[in-house]
Amino acid sequence: MSRKNRKAAQFSKARTQDRPPAPPKAAPPSYPSVRLSPNLVEIPITARDDMNVPARIWADEELWKQISRDRTLHQLINVSTLPGITGTAQAMPDAHEGYGFPVGGVAAFRARDGIISPGGVGYDINCGVRLLASEIEAGELGHPRLESLIQDLSRAIPSGTGKGSHLRFAGEDLDRVLGEGCAYLAERGLATAEDLDTIEARGSLATADPRAVSDRAKQRGGDQLGSIGSGNHFVEVQRVEKLFDLGAAEALRLRVGQVVILIHTGSRGLGHQVCTDYVRAMDAVMARHGIRLPDRELACAPFQSPEGQKYFGAMCAAANFAFSNRQAITWAAREVFRKALGEHRGLRVVYDVAHNMAKLERHGEEDLVVHRKGATRAFGPSHPETPAIYKGIGQPVLIPGSMGTASYVLVGTDEGFDLSYGSTCHGAGRAMSRTAAKKVQSGAEVRKGLEDRGIVVRASVGELAEEAPYAYKDVDRVVEVVHQAGLARKVARLVPLGVIKG
Amino acid sequence: MRKRRHRWLDHTSEVQLQVEAESLAGLAAEAGRALGLLLLREGHDVPVRPEGPARKIQVESVDREALLVDWLNEILFLAEVERWVAVEFDILEISSVHLKASALGVPVEESPALVKAATFHGLAVEERAGGLQAEVIFDV
Repeated sequence: MSRKNRKAAQFSKARTQDRPPAPPKAAPPSYPSVRLSPNLVEIPITARDDMNVPARIWADEELWKQISRDRTLHQLINVSTLPGITGTAQAMPDAHEGYGFPVGGVAAFRARDGIISPGGVGYDINCGVRLLASEIEAGELGHPRLESLIQDLSRAIPSGTGKGSHLRFAGEDLDRVLGEGCAYLAERGLATAEDLDTIEARGSLATADPRAVSDRAKQRGGDQLGSIGSGNHFVEVQRVEKLFDLGAAEALRLRVGQVVILIHTGSRGLGHQVCTDYVRAMDAVMARHGIRLPDRELACAPFQSPEGQKYFGAMCAAANFAFSNRQAITWAAREVFRKALGEHRGLRVVYDVAHNMAKLERHGEEDLVVHRKGATRAFGPSHPETPAIYKGIGQPVLIPGSMGTASYVLVGTDEGFDLSYGSTCHGAGRAMSRTAAKKVQSGAEVRKGLEDRGIVVRASVGELAEEAPYAYKDVDRVVEVVHQAGLARKVARLVPLGVIKG
Repeated sequence: MRKRRHRWLDHTSEVQLQVEAESLAGLAAEAGRALGLLLLREGHDVPVRPEGPARKIQVESVDREALLVDWLNEILFLAEVERWVAVEFDILEISSVHLKASALGVPVEESPALVKAATFHGLAVEERAGGLQAEVIFDV
């Protein structure tokens, strides 16, 4: 056992055996609810005195049971009390307890008199997913060749906690990444014009303000561009297993057996520090704005206030950093593929989409600040922001499954724009704590289970135990709910060939 | 010897720390130690040998709950940027809005960015028989 692995095993043992046992946590509060459809439940505005809007949860009976077990609903109701919220506070079928907003939460606030909340975006600003399509068939990759490819990718793309990449951006260069995102990487030769066409907002939010990002944030993340990070972030080499919508698959140029790469990461330490800075800053000014909250982590400020605008500028800059991070990883993966498989085996960006973000969007007659925390934007075919090449099918939606299970490609619907502010789920969603997951199997056992299925794994055993597939909800069920509810439409199911994690 | 201890509570997606101590200084020291050990992925029974020289850490906040969050976030920042994980603390000055400590830590080759931040969610510093108890949720 390596020293690092031994440490992880010791840590796990100490956490589970040697500490005084934790007392049972209080049961989460219970709220009245009504099922509106097989996939939608509503908690009425009367459920708690301080609610400003009802809460809606997209879930079938089984997922509703899972979501009701922890404090997800309590956190969603807290969100429903925030100033300027409109319509309904929503939770996606993969929702679970987080901090402040639940993970899987969607809330829209009027731009004219509503708030913006760093806690409603989360610490990993623009955590998101990018799908790269190769021209290789899975059958071409025998196991030794796959192992070699995964090994090369893991060397080229730093994965672990806090590891930086080979790229270094500092000073004016870093400010340009923050201000211009992938457009600047294209200028530096790290992105093509075609790449930009298939990234949300072309990987460059014009409302970014690098000056609103603190020096501490720049220090914390400046050397992390091109790295995955820890937790549930990963790079997976996958195979297209099944197509559900042949027309949409053709438009996305996906076919059964094709090798693809799914990248799941965000803005790394830079984004974490931006959120830390602004939760603190907004906590200090809420009283001045007359805002009272049921949870201090919901710290917020009016969107139109100087504090709100400054956070929005900083958040957009961190989002540009995250788009650029996934672009830098793409560039590294292309180099690996080129060396291993030849010049003609390029990797095409199918799409890149965020699932932790607040965006200013026009819905009906109102400009809204739509917060999606662990929820994916899913615009339909007719939305102006859907890329031109996908106008006929809708914006691609990328749903990473838990490690070792399936991932999905979906497309947004016009119907979903009205139902959920053009939002859908973002993954399988945790169902089990990290401590509980470690009690089920050790990291070594999880690794063996994956390897027995022919999946090549490059990850620390500590992370493997915490991120085991059984710690998550059933991604097939989650995706079926959003498909049946009309929030997004299934296109393809992807299964892993190799996993690289922190 | 002052009574101090910490334990980790179950949370669906994050990591929740519960700390007990006889005083606010003890609470800050124990919470800092718990975070340091988490960052090093060590159990509290595993000997960690911090190296000198000691470093001063100072934070200013609006109240004692925010002070605890700011203190932990400062330890995180130092771990990630300076690649130095503080694990042993001598609290030199403390009030509900000010903390100054001398810390010993462990240099690390890779910055341990396991934890994104200490959050305000569910944050409580409460008087209990024999001292104080605090709960903090870390985003991981």
